[in-house]
Amino acid sequence: MLEEDGFTTVILTPTHEFNREVGIPRSVALEYPYGRLLGEVGDADGQRQVLLATLAVLEQAQAPGQVKHLPFEWPEDPRHTHWHPPEMSPIVKAHLDDIKRARERMKERG
Amino acid sequence: MDQQEKRVDGFRFMPPGLAAWIQTFIPDEQFNGPIPWTPLARPLSQATVALITSAGISCKSDPPFDMEREKREPTWGDPTYRCIPRNTAAADIDVNHLHINTDYIRKDPDVMLPLTRLAEFEAEGIIGRLAQTAYSFYGFQWQNERFIDEAIRPMASRMKSEQVEAVLLTPA
Repeated sequence: MLEEDGFTTVILTPTHEFNREVGIPRSVALEYPYGRLLGEVGDADGQRQVLLATLAVLEQAQAPGQVKHLPFEWPEDPRHTHWHPPEMSPIVKAHLDDIKRARERMKERG
Repeated sequence: MDQQEKRVDGFRFMPPGLAAWIQTFIPDEQFNGPIPWTPLARPLSQATVALITSAGISCKSDPPFDMEREKREPTWGDPTYRCIPRNTAAADIDVNHLHINTDYIRKDPDVMLPLTRLAEFEAEGIIGRLAQTAYSFYGFQWQNERFIDEAIRPMASRMKSEQVEAVLLTPA
């Protein structure tokens, strides 16, 4: 939509897998926790590195739909990142049974 | 391709049940439809860049995003957007989002809306200019057709009026 309006766009995404559902012109994938996409609080140098690598894709990407995977590693174990909201989100609360079933099916498939 | 190159696992931080459920909404195959494409017309060092985040950030002087209705209607997400002037201080922003911990953004908005970092890049000549206005909407939009008209079109129109050429999107 923005691209059709003449803007050159890049998305810095924590979940590049969504690109299988919608076409995205330029994506930069990063394995950082949700809600802290640029880096840790107060880490200006780390934020700059992520931003430089992301902006570079605006100039360098040659064709739509490509995903650039960034090499940066988050310093904490995922269980210790505390990215979750303090209260379960309404949609998750409303679908707890579906979530449980999806988990069981995934376990069955190994 | 370089064997050492990292491949990001977008579900690494998600609890396994939630990850399994979300993956039921994502097809196994690659997207195969047309994708719109506007190449950058001039070098980044001369281009005007704007930021758009879906982190639910607003200025304290504006109304906050509506969390109460979503609590009552779990498939509804606030379809509106907010403008955030580029020089807005951390102390002047509010963050409302029911799907992430918003504490980090409150402490340092640059973790999602890197206005300070991009102002540095502007001063250093890495980008041409940081647009006067940044934008936030609310990241939970489920089958919401109003959102295009109520948020995307007016944001695009304002960006045009501020001569924006490139846009960085940071989803939450």
